[in-house]
Amino acid sequence: MLIFTLRRLSLFIFTMLLLTLLSFSLSFLFPGDAVINLSGAINATPSQLAQLNENYQTGSNIFVQYFAYLQHIINGDLGLSMASQSVISHEIMNLLPATIELSLVALLIAMFAGIPLGFIAAINHNKPSDNIILSVSMLGYSVPVFWLGLLAILIFSINLGWLPSAGQISLLFEIELVTGIQFIDILLSDSPYKWQAFSDATAHIILPACVIAVAPATIFIRLARTSMIEVLNTSYIRAASAKGLSFQQIIFRHAIRNALIKIIRHVGLQFANLVTIAMVTEVIFSWPGIGRWLIVSIDQRDYTAIQSGLLVLSCFIFVVHILTDFIYAALNPLARGIKHGSR
Amino acid sequence: MNLLDIRNLSIELIHDEQNILAVDKVSLSMKEGEVRGLVGESGSGKSLLAQAIVGVLDDKWYVHADRFHWRGIDLLRLTIPERKAILSRDIAMIFQEPMACLDPTTNIGEQLAEAIDESQLSGFFWQKQQQRRAATVKLLHKVGIKDHDACIKSYPHQLTEALCQRVMIAIALARQPILLIADEPTAAMENTNQGQVFRLLASLNQLKNMAILLISHDLENITHWTNTITVMYSGQFVEAGTTEQIFNKAMHPYTQALVDSSPLANLHLPAKSRLMTLPGSIPILQHLPIGCRLGPRCPRAQQDCVRAPSVTSFHGHKVSCHFPLLMNPKMKKSPLKKTTRA
Repeated sequence: MLIFTLRRLSLFIFTMLLLTLLSFSLSFLFPGDAVINLSGAINATPSQLAQLNENYQTGSNIFVQYFAYLQHIINGDLGLSMASQSVISHEIMNLLPATIELSLVALLIAMFAGIPLGFIAAINHNKPSDNIILSVSMLGYSVPVFWLGLLAILIFSINLGWLPSAGQISLLFEIELVTGIQFIDILLSDSPYKWQAFSDATAHIILPACVIAVAPATIFIRLARTSMIEVLNTSYIRAASAKGLSFQQIIFRHAIRNALIKIIRHVGLQFANLVTIAMVTEVIFSWPGIGRWLIVSIDQRDYTAIQSGLLVLSCFIFVVHILTDFIYAALNPLARGIKHGSR
Repeated sequence: MNLLDIRNLSIELIHDEQNILAVDKVSLSMKEGEVRGLVGESGSGKSLLAQAIVGVLDDKWYVHADRFHWRGIDLLRLTIPERKAILSRDIAMIFQEPMACLDPTTNIGEQLAEAIDESQLSGFFWQKQQQRRAATVKLLHKVGIKDHDACIKSYPHQLTEALCQRVMIAIALARQPILLIADEPTAAMENTNQGQVFRLLASLNQLKNMAILLISHDLENITHWTNTITVMYSGQFVEAGTTEQIFNKAMHPYTQALVDSSPLANLHLPAKSRLMTLPGSIPILQHLPIGCRLGPRCPRAQQDCVRAPSVTSFHGHKVSCHFPLLMNPKMKKSPLKKTTRA
C-alpha cells in the first residue's frame, strides 16, 4: 500500500509539472508580452516592469524563466487579474471551494442515482424495467446542459416556486468565510439562525447540482449496467449460487463489489467532464464558483486569470482522480500489493 | 434405492426460430457412495448436464426431464425454491478453472465461511462468528491445507490453481453434501496436483461415503478412480456400465473408439503411424445430425442409424446403439464385428 501511495504521489508531482509547463507556455502563446501575461501587471510603471523582468528572469534562457515561474507558483503568487487588478490567488481561494462543493455534491448525486439504477437494469436484463432505464438514460445524456438548466429554473423556480434559482445562499444570512465550503462554514458559525441558513443553502444547491448530475448519472447507469451484466455472467457468481447462497446474498456480497471496481475508475475520468458541465451551470445559476469566474475571464481576455484558473481546476480534477484510485485500490485486492514482474 | 435417478433429461438452448437440443434425453442414475465417471469430448454436454442437476443454468437454457428423483423425492413435483433448497443442501459442485470460480475481491476465509450452513452452528450470534471460524479451519484441514491462517487471509490470486481447487472442494464440503459433482476438477493442472486432487476425492468417498460424479474428457485417467462410467457424445447418452465393462468390454463403437484412442491402447503401434481415431470432429450445435448423432462418424453406421436408438440393457450395462459390439454374436446380429475388431 505504501508503494502504491508513493507511486500515485510521484504521478501527481509529474503531472503537476507538466501542467505548469503548459500554463507557462500559454503566456507565450497568448498575444502580448509574456511577462505581463504571467504577472497581469498591465498598468506597470517602467520601474515596476524592470522589477518584474528581474523576478521572472526574462533576460535568461527559457529554462531559467520556467524555474522562476515555478518559484512564483510554489510561493502562491499567481499574478494579478488583468481585468480587475486584484490578486488572483485570493480570488481563487474564495471561489474554488464553492466549485468543489457544487461538483462534489453533483458527483455524489450522480453516483448514488446512477449506479444503483444501472444495477437494477442489469439484474432485470432484457426486461421492461431495463429498457425503460436505458432509454431514460439515453434521453438524459442527449439533453444539453444549458437548456436543461434553464428548463429547471423555469419549472422548479418560476412556475412551482419550490427552489431558488440563483446564488449559493440567501443574502439574509451572514456567514463568515472560514473554509470557503459553505456547509462547513455554516456549521462552524455561531449564528442563531444556523439551521435556517443550512436549509437555505441546501435548497440553493439542489437545483444546480441535479442539473450537473444528469449527464454523468446517465453515463454511470450505462457503466454500472454493463459491468453488472458482465459480473453476473462470471463463473464465481455461478459457483456462489451452487454454494447455496440466495440471490440477494450473491448480489450484495459478491456482485456489487466486483461491479463497483469496474465503475470506480471511470468515476475519476468522468469527473473532468462533470467539472466542464459545472462551469456552464455556474453561469446559469450565478453560482459564485471558479467556473463562472473563468468563463468571465475568457470573455474579458484576462490571460493571467485564464492561465491560473486552468492550472487550479486541472489540479483539483487530478486530486479527485487520485482519490478514486485509492478507493479502487481499497476495493480491489488485485490493485494493491506487489505484482509479479512489476519491479 | 438410487441416490439420484434422472430419466430422459433434455436441455434446450432457447433460440429465435428453433430451440437447439443441446442435451438429448440423457439418463443418469447414481447409488449412494458410488463414484461415477461422466465421460465425453468437449462439447458433449457433460458440464451442461451437471449444471442442470445443480440448477445453476441461466435462462438461456430450457431444461425438462421425464423423471428427476433425489433419494426418492420427486423433485419435479416441488416448486423451484423447494427444489433449490434440497439440492443446495445435498449436492455440491466443484467447477473447472477454480481460480475463476472464487470471487477475486473477497478473501478465502469469508468465501468459505458463508458456505457454512446456519443450521450447523449453535448458540447466540456472538458465538456463531467463532464457530464459523473454527469450522472454516476444520474444512481447510480436511482438504489438506495445513497453513490455515495464511490461506484464510489470502485472496484467490495469491494462491496456486491446485490450492484454489482444494478451497473449492472445501467450500463444496461445507454443507456436508451427499453427492459431489466434480466438473473436470483437474483441468489445466499439473500431473502431481491432479493426483493430489483425485486422491483427496477418493478419500472423501471412502471416509464419508460421499457419492461423486466425476466429469472428465479423459477416459483413461478417471478409470483409476471410478466404479461406474457413463459416456456421452454430442449431448446424447452413449453407454453406461461399470468401469470394468466400459474399459474392457465396450459395446458402443464410440466408447470403443475412445478406449482405442488412448495412448495406452496405442502402445503397440509402430513409430510414426497415425493413432486410432474416429474420422471427423464433434458436430456443432447448429448442425446436429438426426438420429444417432455419432452416425456420420461411426464406422458401423447403417441406414437404421437415422433413427435415434433406444437404450438396451445387458446386465446393467446400458448401451444406446442399433448395432452394439457384442461379445456373444447370438444375442443380436452384428455382422461387422469381425472386421472392426481386426
